[in-house]
Amino acid sequence: MPTTGRTMTASIGNRHFVLRRLHSLLGLLPVGAFLIFHLWENSQSRFGAEHYNREVVEALQGLNYLVPIELLVIALPLLLHAVIGLAITREMRAEPIRYRYARNWAYWLQRLSGVVILLFLLLHVGMTRIQGLWTPAIRDDLYGYMQTLLSNPGFFALYLVGLLASVFHLANGLSTMAIVWGLTTSAAAQRRFAWACAGFGVLLAALGVHGMLGFLS
Amino acid sequence: MRETPSTIELRIRRQDGPDTPPYWETFVLPHAPDHNVVSVLMALREHPLTHDGRRVDPVCWDHNCMEEVCGSCAMLINGVPRPACSALIDQLEQPIVLEPLPKFPVVRDLLVDRSAIDAGLRKVHAWIEIDGAWDTHEPPPRIAPQQWAADYLYSRCMSCGCCMAACPQFGAGADFVGPAPLAQVRLMNAHPTGRHDKTERLHAIMAEGGLSDCGNAQNCVRVCPKAIPLTTAIGELGRQTTIQALKDLFGSS
Repeated sequence: MPTTGRTMTASIGNRHFVLRRLHSLLGLLPVGAFLIFHLWENSQSRFGAEHYNREVVEALQGLNYLVPIELLVIALPLLLHAVIGLAITREMRAEPIRYRYARNWAYWLQRLSGVVILLFLLLHVGMTRIQGLWTPAIRDDLYGYMQTLLSNPGFFALYLVGLLASVFHLANGLSTMAIVWGLTTSAAAQRRFAWACAGFGVLLAALGVHGMLGFLS
Repeated sequence: MRETPSTIELRIRRQDGPDTPPYWETFVLPHAPDHNVVSVLMALREHPLTHDGRRVDPVCWDHNCMEEVCGSCAMLINGVPRPACSALIDQLEQPIVLEPLPKFPVVRDLLVDRSAIDAGLRKVHAWIEIDGAWDTHEPPPRIAPQQWAADYLYSRCMSCGCCMAACPQFGAGADFVGPAPLAQVRLMNAHPTGRHDKTERLHAIMAEGGLSDCGNAQNCVRVCPKAIPLTTAIGELGRQTTIQALKDLFGSS
């Protein structure tokens, strides 16, 4: 490979740098964007079974190129983000008790929530999309299926944990992503943006809980 | 004001050699005003008696300047990494617990091998090439006072290693160079002569163990005894490496 300097390779030719930046980018696009869309979409549960099953679920299932979109825009980026994220989590030597600073806790919770989300998604995707492949009843009345599931307090709690972990992971990831890419540099800018991300997280969590409660009405 | 105690009680984590197991010893010394941790350790060295009267080897530790500029006396004091010379006894909770600076290999007692910091500084090219040992017939480089004021903050680094000790991404088995060398990249890249090697430094921190390994826990900036804006340096280097990657991808200038 021709290079124009003796250290050129330690840049875009460096796997480590490219994978880390890819991991950072994928967290927002498309994974984070999908989470926002997904929570907005499911907040339509408020408008009843008829509306949800027809206008939301059927409309999405009727999309052309649905499976390639699901695989290339959702599953593959998510898988890449998770694999690189697990490799990053292995480097952690968190001491949340010795250093009780908010950012240190966020550092620790970011990695913890990542693992929680991964376990939750295995269950969540398995019980809806995957099980729906051979159980048409789930696809035909997803509202009723989710209503039965969320009526169980254990599953409701599980979904709440999965939701809050995902929202925290996205909001905190956004605020650190701004430092990684160099959008926020001064401590004041980093603090301001962290508050903006926290506000965004609270709104997104509210939308998610609103959607969950919608299935129970 | 807290009532001044009449004694100073030290609990010290000791270790006879790099590969021997650590053990704890307690020492009680008479109180004296204006003591700091280094001066107490000096007093202890004169009469190394444990609290139950056993005579032991004097405690080994590193110190030099006594005015928080050399960085050699950094250790874990009551669980916090900080220089021992500026840790005033009357401001510390007793018993005062002293442990070697974590993340660095212990040589003996409170003495650690901090050569990992030097290795990091070498890795990121944290120096400035001289522009010729001859007369260049040019005036010295000019720096705006505003820039000088910002750069000065980073020049205060004394390589004590407190930021590295508190960093959850730095430690044995990890590649990460740590916050201190990264802050020096920020400093050297801004220097009128040092900026000529900016690309080389950025490429160095874009490799394994570089800037990407920072996890943004930001403990470093909280424990730095010189109040160096380490996380600002990391944010600025994030911006510099992003621009550098775009230059490498699409061609520079």
